[in-house]
Amino acid sequence: MKKQHGWTKGLAITWTIVVCLLLAHNAYLWLGKRIAPDTDILALLPVQERDPVLQQSFAHMVDTAQQRVVVLIGANDWEQAKQAAATYQKVLASRSDLLTATNISDQAQSDWLAVFQKQSLGLLTAQQEQQLRTEPAQYWTDLALAKMYSAFSGPKLGSFQDDPFNLFSGWVQERAQETPVRPRDGYLFVADKEKQYVLLPLNLKPSAFSLTAQEAVVPLLGKAAEAALLATPSVEIISAGVVLHAAAAGQQAGGEVSTIGLGSLIGIILLMWLSFRSLKPITLILLSIGVGFLGALSVCWMLFGGIHLLTLVFGASLIGVAQDYGIYFLCNRLSAGASVDSPTLLKRLLPGLSLTLLAAVIGYLGLGLTPFPGLRHMAVFSALGLVFAWLTVICWFPQLIRAGSLKSGKLVARYSAALMHWPRLGLNPRSLVVLAIFAIATAIGCSRLGANDDIRLLQNSPKHLVADQIKLGKLLDAPTPVQYFLVRGGSAEIVLQREEALKRKLDSLIERHTISGYQALSNWIPSAQLQKQRHQLIDEKLLAEGGALSLLASKVEEDAAWAAAIRKHLLTLTASTSFDEFLKTSAGEPWRHLWLGKIGNEYASIVALRGLSYANNGLATLQQAGQGLDGVQWVDKVNEISSVLGRYRVYMGWVVSAAYLVVFVLLFPRYRRNAWRVLAPTLCASLVTLGLLGLAGQSLQLFHVLALMLLLGVGVDYGIFMQEHPDRRNATPWLAVGLSAANTLLSFGLLGLSRTPALQAFGLTMLIGTALVWLIVPCFTSTTESAHVAQT
Amino acid sequence: MMSMMRLLSIICILLLSLFWTDSSNAAAPISKIQNMLAKPPVLCGRFDQTKQLQGMKKPLASNGRFCVVNGKGILWRTLQPFPNTLRLTRDEIVHLQGERVAMRLDAQKEPTVRMINSVLFSLLSGDLGKLETLFEVDGSVDAASWKVALKAREAALAKAIGAISLDGGAYVKNIHIDEASGDRTTIIFSDIKTGETAMTAEELALFAQ
Repeated sequence: MKKQHGWTKGLAITWTIVVCLLLAHNAYLWLGKRIAPDTDILALLPVQERDPVLQQSFAHMVDTAQQRVVVLIGANDWEQAKQAAATYQKVLASRSDLLTATNISDQAQSDWLAVFQKQSLGLLTAQQEQQLRTEPAQYWTDLALAKMYSAFSGPKLGSFQDDPFNLFSGWVQERAQETPVRPRDGYLFVADKEKQYVLLPLNLKPSAFSLTAQEAVVPLLGKAAEAALLATPSVEIISAGVVLHAAAAGQQAGGEVSTIGLGSLIGIILLMWLSFRSLKPITLILLSIGVGFLGALSVCWMLFGGIHLLTLVFGASLIGVAQDYGIYFLCNRLSAGASVDSPTLLKRLLPGLSLTLLAAVIGYLGLGLTPFPGLRHMAVFSALGLVFAWLTVICWFPQLIRAGSLKSGKLVARYSAALMHWPRLGLNPRSLVVLAIFAIATAIGCSRLGANDDIRLLQNSPKHLVADQIKLGKLLDAPTPVQYFLVRGGSAEIVLQREEALKRKLDSLIERHTISGYQALSNWIPSAQLQKQRHQLIDEKLLAEGGALSLLASKVEEDAAWAAAIRKHLLTLTASTSFDEFLKTSAGEPWRHLWLGKIGNEYASIVALRGLSYANNGLATLQQAGQGLDGVQWVDKVNEISSVLGRYRVYMGWVVSAAYLVVFVLLFPRYRRNAWRVLAPTLCASLVTLGLLGLAGQSLQLFHVLALMLLLGVGVDYGIFMQEHPDRRNATPWLAVGLSAANTLLSFGLLGLSRTPALQAFGLTMLIGTALVWLIVPCFTSTTESAHVAQT
Repeated sequence: MMSMMRLLSIICILLLSLFWTDSSNAAAPISKIQNMLAKPPVLCGRFDQTKQLQGMKKPLASNGRFCVVNGKGILWRTLQPFPNTLRLTRDEIVHLQGERVAMRLDAQKEPTVRMINSVLFSLLSGDLGKLETLFEVDGSVDAASWKVALKAREAALAKAIGAISLDGGAYVKNIHIDEASGDRTTIIFSDIKTGETAMTAEELALFAQ
């Protein structure tokens, strides 16, 4: 006896040292290194599937969009809109350290025209180029004559000689169509059928994800809107920006943490108090969970050098399993009586406890076999967390809880008594009918279950923000930042040439209304190759002797010298503007995000799409358009993230199924013919949960499956507890199951109230599943004492 | 969009000469000119345009018909030597080359078109305020005729449209435009008819389109 005590004391002291080391390491990580969890969902993709240029392109698109806040102020009357905008801006001006307005001027517009006029011979629209190849000289002569004679024949830039065939003005018009936004009275203007809007593009100075920025910007915009509405009550204000979504998400998460988190904490403490009349048990269980979490984090950080947020979230959910060890020990302590001391009790419980740990760890390690780094991290994190929590129970609990230090409340007695009246499953008609009904209902439910891997599961912005975003997108005809073409090449010129090849394909998609247009730098700066081709084409078709220009000369009774002078003048309009020069001008400013520049050994750019139509398989058509073109890659971020979620869902499903098998094999040596009784309640509960989800019209997503994995871990514990003491006169395991399940329901089931779809799915599955396992686990216990009990 | 400004100025001039009604707020020469001008609800006539482009020996002569209809808009039809039509209504500006639409500008989307139309229709309803926000008006008047020079208030607009002068009596007779590039345009109006019968069936149809 003494020897045994010494042994457990030594264990406790050793563990204390280990925990101190863990605390020190964690303090160093959080306070010293100030680590932050990784939030990029693509970090969860298998490494070989990641492409640095692709990732940089996305980061580039997102970074540009991230710091932008766009406000539209609309009224039926332009004067009113301007007035409201002025009031709005006045409020913003008070915090120029936070938000700055993007400057616009009319002067800038004529400046950029001059730059392009110097190279206008190389600037054509796709339609003009086509017409130059197909239309006869007469067509161009007529066009030039109409322009000559008319008092106002449409857009005219410079004098007649600069653009006799209206080619440059056609190109300028096409460029103007790239955005519906127009300068007007020193403001930016855009309109729809009902209203005219002032567009205020704003730049956020601090990062959109800094909490202080979010806390300051949202009220500031609110104050500005209030002032504008006060000055002109009929005005409509639409605002959009990443910072608004981030602030809303933060607010929602904060609200949920305080309601759901507080609710479950109060519930758990109350439950423990009613069961044990003491707060010591809950403190002990929190201690084991805490050590488990910190230990897992420390070791994971040492192994992987980083940790993903999703790993942490899933890892944190292990509390549901980790608590079982402590609860099991405490419940047995409660019923064992004062004659048995804690180390002896532990020795008696060790086989059952070991088996629960082993089953859970093996189940989770199954995740490690998938090719996804995210799942591997989750596996290691979860397994480690459980081991650390388990060791805490084994090493510390016998020292911390002495015999007779726990008393049970009235609730425990009443609850324990209920077990005697619980139905038992057997080979009788009543059981079979119940089983059959459940089986049919579950089958129907499961057959209705669809899958959903939509990215929107991960975030859930308030409706008004989404509505504003949609309206803004429509008004501005802005390209989507998440679907675009990435074009690469060995030099800037090659990138431009490849863009042009892509654009020729996209032009046919514009005709088919798959997209309404595209934004590309080559729209503004054609490749040198194309410019040269165009110079030749224009010279050959229009300017050369016998061409449209000669014909024009004869029509207006001018001589060959007149035509030659115009030709000579036009042929000088072939200046070449460099990329960097263009991007520095005010005309280039809106397109800067399209140029990624040099990355490694190659250059890359983005071709962005406007007015993308999702109807008629638009995305698939676009993907096809990019196929077979050198250096062109279709990027669909939404689809990519959805496919990550989808693949994780499928893999996870297989892992759960495999885990059932592995756990069964593990249980078999100990429980033999009764091994199925341990696993069956969880399996039934999982299937019924799926069936209920199907009947409720929900679609299966990754987070349901993740919950099923956790449910396996939890449910097997309950099965083992019950099967360790199948005799119903001993209500201790039933008590452990009840407390553990109630805690799990309070901590995870309440997540079902979350408005974030992912958390809701997770919570709902845990809520239904855990409740079901709890209710049916006594039904599966065997009536006869099994062999292993005799052995212990 | 600069060319649109030029278009705007020419339209303003046309209207200026045809539809001045209220003189209470206008400057002295303007009010006198207004008193001289007739103000019919429908007015059609012939124009002869001569354009002298820089670097060309001969001037380019063209002619056609125009109609101004109160509340509806303006039709400007070049008939010789190349037929084309410009139509301005409340919602849009359309340029037709034969049957083909060469250009269509939607007032809803283009603020310049909006501005042109707002000036146009305020002038049609007799409101001079809008025009004076865009142009400085300088003129001289004698017993039966008048002469006016317009200067755009905005420098960019002035650069785009150049110097404009016009003269007339009961109706405007001549318009001269001198552009910075050296191009010069003269428009002479004649054969002016008013009333319901002034528009041909073809012109009515063009408005109805």
